[in-house]
Amino acid sequence: MAEIRIQSLTKEFAGGVVAVKDLELEVPHGSFVALLGPSGCGKTTTMNMISGLERPTAGEIYFDGRPITRVAPGKRNVGFVFQNYAIFTHMTVYGNLAFGLKVRKDGRSKAERDAEVRRVAEIVGLSGSLERKAGVLSVNDMQKVALGRSMIVQPAIFLLDEPFSNLDAAFRAYMRTELKRIQHEMGQTMVYVTHDQVEAMSMADRIAVMNLGELQQYGSPDDVYNRPRNRFVAGFVGSTRMNFLPASLAPALAPEGRADKLTLGVRPEAIEIVAPGDARSTLDARVTLVEPLGAKDVVHLEVGGHDARVVGAPGRRPHVGDSVGLSFDPSRVHLFNDETDLAV
Amino acid sequence: MAGIRLDNVTKRFGSVTALDRISVEIEDGEFFAVLGHPGAGKTTMLRTIVGLETPDEGDVYAAGERITDVYPGDRDIAIMFQNLALYPDKSVYNNLAFPLKQAKVPKQQIEQRVAEVARVLRIEPLLKRKPAKLSGGERQRVALGRAMVRDPRALLLDEPLSALDALLRLEMRAELKRLQRELGRTVVYVTHDQVEAMSMADRIAVLREGVLQQVDQPENIYHRPANRFVATVVGSPPMNFLHAEGAWSGGTLELRHPLFTVTTAEAASESLRGRLAEGQECLVGVRPEDVHVTSAPGIPATVYVTEPLGGETVVDLDLGGRLVKALVDPTLKLQENEAVQLALDGQRLHVFDAEGVGLLSAAGEPLFTVSAS
Repeated sequence: MAEIRIQSLTKEFAGGVVAVKDLELEVPHGSFVALLGPSGCGKTTTMNMISGLERPTAGEIYFDGRPITRVAPGKRNVGFVFQNYAIFTHMTVYGNLAFGLKVRKDGRSKAERDAEVRRVAEIVGLSGSLERKAGVLSVNDMQKVALGRSMIVQPAIFLLDEPFSNLDAAFRAYMRTELKRIQHEMGQTMVYVTHDQVEAMSMADRIAVMNLGELQQYGSPDDVYNRPRNRFVAGFVGSTRMNFLPASLAPALAPEGRADKLTLGVRPEAIEIVAPGDARSTLDARVTLVEPLGAKDVVHLEVGGHDARVVGAPGRRPHVGDSVGLSFDPSRVHLFNDETDLAV
Repeated sequence: MAGIRLDNVTKRFGSVTALDRISVEIEDGEFFAVLGHPGAGKTTMLRTIVGLETPDEGDVYAAGERITDVYPGDRDIAIMFQNLALYPDKSVYNNLAFPLKQAKVPKQQIEQRVAEVARVLRIEPLLKRKPAKLSGGERQRVALGRAMVRDPRALLLDEPLSALDALLRLEMRAELKRLQRELGRTVVYVTHDQVEAMSMADRIAVLREGVLQQVDQPENIYHRPANRFVATVVGSPPMNFLHAEGAWSGGTLELRHPLFTVTTAEAASESLRGRLAEGQECLVGVRPEDVHVTSAPGIPATVYVTEPLGGETVVDLDLGGRLVKALVDPTLKLQENEAVQLALDGQRLHVFDAEGVGLLSAAGEPLFTVSAS
């Protein structure tokens, strides 16, 4: 168990590129924190400074109150899993899992080590493959080996950098579930780097959304989704992008007299399509495309010269070219200042 | 413009059969998606249509004419590959004009044609730029433009959106569908992404290890999957499967799971007669959006993990030792290990035999009712 505190952390690379700028972050004991952002946002650099692969230009990182930026990576008691699984392909799965325990030389007996290997193999779902050579496994199973190998040494802090991005979608969904459960059962502090908002939302206790080296928001999945601090967070989180429309299209939804300086943000599932003259309708729109996805439909609309999307359960399906009304739930409308992009 | 037909096409690479007796008819002007996992034979199918591969058996037809032995350049079918190969030292204009120059089209016609394609793709302001100065989405459009510029009778696209980030993919999806409508051209679209296939295609062909599983409209692929594989390949999270056993009493069939019983309506029993015997094992398929957490007494389960996605929450439930996923409203707050009651929507159930062959899908009809045992 360990808590991580990051203070005024900055990383500037040669050539003046500031990858991480003045980052403040606290990762409590036993929590699952996701560093989320597009490529180049500084999430991996942050991770590398936590693990010791990069040294910060300024600032400090504390593990349980102890500064660690001058501690060698191998002495930080952190475990890693990378995107490209680092495993010994010539060894068996058993050998791979046991390796970390052997090099640790913590005085455990062979029988104890054996029990531990089998327990971890069970958790990651490799019990049936212990005697197989790691090199002949499927990509999915290789990543399970990598995960198991890092877990088995029970590091105080577990760091994962896009560990599932090379895996197929079905397996990714499976591992998401398993990893969250494993983390809850083992109670380790986990920091998870990803560009995939679904992974961050579904697994993390708290999400640090980063962009261009700066922390945009740090909060629970509920916070970043329902109370985004700025337009970047609002647009980045959510599988069908939030709609952004000039508030002047619907001045009634903006504070008096400020509609021309604000942007409305409404999630696609917070809009209801109604008849054009309906009393609930705040905006008129025209249907430009209907995408049936099975469980739900995505309806694309043209609203006063802007594109918008509505996601809903398939019901009465509008047709391309239909004129419709849009009804907003005012409690689910966000407003952003056009100058600062901050939520109002 | 032309429809495309594959007639019993087989293609082998050494001991691997990449395409196994594929027969499919793609209609003129249709947006046709080929969906499958990596290695399913999707790209081989495209390459066979365009003429980069010659089938070992069977024939390829375009507009009713056999083109199996026609040279690729003479097929009048364009292909756009996953890796956009734009000429880095040529401007967008010259990238678009190149295929026409090669074909010795008069200069004035080239200008007209490039202008036309640029207008449709909304890249007119970019014509003077070099590819390196374009965003991912813009490069995508230019590559598409280059495939379109000779006005081929069919356009084959191999995972065209896979290199784009999620938000751009979403926009390009809508854009491609609009384009195809506008041009009225036959499009064959290869993808491993079920959302792309579902959202854009008029019909989807699901391919697995070289074998065609089902060719159908998206709605039918989703609501009436031919087998377990198809049922799993569309929908996110994928369909849940629970083992049950057939039990006949008189003319009515029941599907018995240790924790619940599916009673089948007369029409459903009739349809399953002779296909599911007394005591025979079967699979009950139910999509996550059709699993409901209820306050009424239902099927007992415990919460394994909850995965909030913002607009909805995926709940993993332990149902008699098997994990089942449900999609629930995000306002429903559930704790790990909490005991809950479930209801399964009988009008959305699917029944498969033990091998995964689809026997019957309710697809909105009141064919099944589910009650806790």
